[in-house]
Amino acid sequence: MPIDAANPVPPTFPRHVGMDQVPDHVPADLIRQVGLTFGPEFLASPHDFMAALHDKQPPIYYDVSPMGNMWHFTRHEDALFGLRHPEIFSNEGATPFPRDPSDYFYFIPIEIDPPHHRKYRNIVDPVFSPQGVLKLEGLIRKRANDLIDEIEAKVAAGGSCEFTEDFGRPLPVAVFLDIMGLPQDMRDTFVSWAMELLHSNDRAIMGGAMQKITAYLKEAIAEKQANPDDGVVSRIAHAQVDGALMSEKEIFGFVCFLFIAGLDTVFATLNNIWAWLAENPEKRQEIIDRPQDIDKIVEELLRRWSVTFSGRVLDKDHEMRGVQLKKGDRVTFILPACNFDPEVFPDPLTVDFDRPRKTILAFTVGVHSCMGGHLARLEVKIALQEWLKRIPNFELKPGTRIEYRPGGVIGPEEVPLVW
Amino acid sequence: MPKVTYVDHTGHATTVEVETGENVMRGALYNGIDGITGECGGGLSCATCHCYVDADWTDTVGGPSSQAEEELLESAADEVKPSSRLSCQMVMTDALDGLVVHLPEHQF
Repeated sequence: MPIDAANPVPPTFPRHVGMDQVPDHVPADLIRQVGLTFGPEFLASPHDFMAALHDKQPPIYYDVSPMGNMWHFTRHEDALFGLRHPEIFSNEGATPFPRDPSDYFYFIPIEIDPPHHRKYRNIVDPVFSPQGVLKLEGLIRKRANDLIDEIEAKVAAGGSCEFTEDFGRPLPVAVFLDIMGLPQDMRDTFVSWAMELLHSNDRAIMGGAMQKITAYLKEAIAEKQANPDDGVVSRIAHAQVDGALMSEKEIFGFVCFLFIAGLDTVFATLNNIWAWLAENPEKRQEIIDRPQDIDKIVEELLRRWSVTFSGRVLDKDHEMRGVQLKKGDRVTFILPACNFDPEVFPDPLTVDFDRPRKTILAFTVGVHSCMGGHLARLEVKIALQEWLKRIPNFELKPGTRIEYRPGGVIGPEEVPLVW
Repeated sequence: MPKVTYVDHTGHATTVEVETGENVMRGALYNGIDGITGECGGGLSCATCHCYVDADWTDTVGGPSSQAEEELLESAADEVKPSSRLSCQMVMTDALDGLVVHLPEHQF
């Protein structure tokens, strides 16, 4: 049923946690506890772990986890189907961030299903379209070079480079703040809020982060309502849907969602790619030697190093591959595993810039495909071009063992580099 | 502003204005025309804005504009014909004023 975005109510379907809350319709032989996002095997090497799901687990299984029980889907074909059928796999209530039930709001547009969804996307799509993000190219190049200036100065003075903190983190957050029309001096605060929300794996810490985010964004929206500018927060605050301004709840839900979506994903993507580049000098050289192929290089790296998952809730009973899914069941599409489906991407863990172009799931598919996908591609492209121009040779600091962060966005904790 | 006519698989035609420089996929989305999904937003990473260029326009419009478009068209849900294009890769110019495209029944 389409929801009324102006009058949000918390979802009523139950959240199941733990082995004693497995619904009766789940067959015992499909129950697993794989430890996705937190188990030791996952954290040791998350992408290898997700690729191996194709060998070790059935294509659809029911995962029991302290973060909530849900069906896991690993096949490319099943993800395309599920993500393209919102009338079966609904987004309503599928976003796992805690909100105050007495002041509830929807994350817009991700929690809005068709037909209303498109009205919201049309507000911001021009900014985030391939042509829209190109307007930012010069600024992103400048920000990338400014950061490399700082890194080179620090290294020249005898310091060391920790990639995630010196480049992976500040670049996308700075770009995001520019687009939104928010001040650069909030950069580190924004990152720490996002880390608490996405990486703590603790619902109390997540709830606390959400409160701080809420207070800041409400103030920022009020400021833009009084003083309009070119930024996206202002654009949303003044946008009309069906001929009227959006309600306060819609504006807040929209801005808050972009905050959550935009801060951590490119960060993790860059960190994954640089940890890999540091250990693959021949691939670094290949990227440098093939400047004309940069777009397909970026696409292949996004396939190989996807960082997140996509959640849905069954809006009706449905059967797939002989598995009975019931209305109210939660589902996670393990997007990196789908990008490692050997039937679609043979020899999936190998980085091959000459793969025939297929739909990758880094940004999902369907009406809820990531609106920031083109921005992400542009940022990764510019980061590769500018960094490799200036620092073509680098490696991991000797003795480094890459450790991964638990949580819903997959990336290494630290990537210390030397050159 | 140049006009584009979108003809759906039942033969129903809708004509709308699409700004010069805007692509034919977005022209459909902004005007609420069903039959084009455009899920990746024009990034050449899906094939859900597939259309058939009307026979009168194929010479003017031309074939796929890149190898990526050609490869992705193979993933289109409905039959791929010589007139097939991804509409996100067709950018409006004054020369395309009056363009007619036919939409497939399925985009995925």
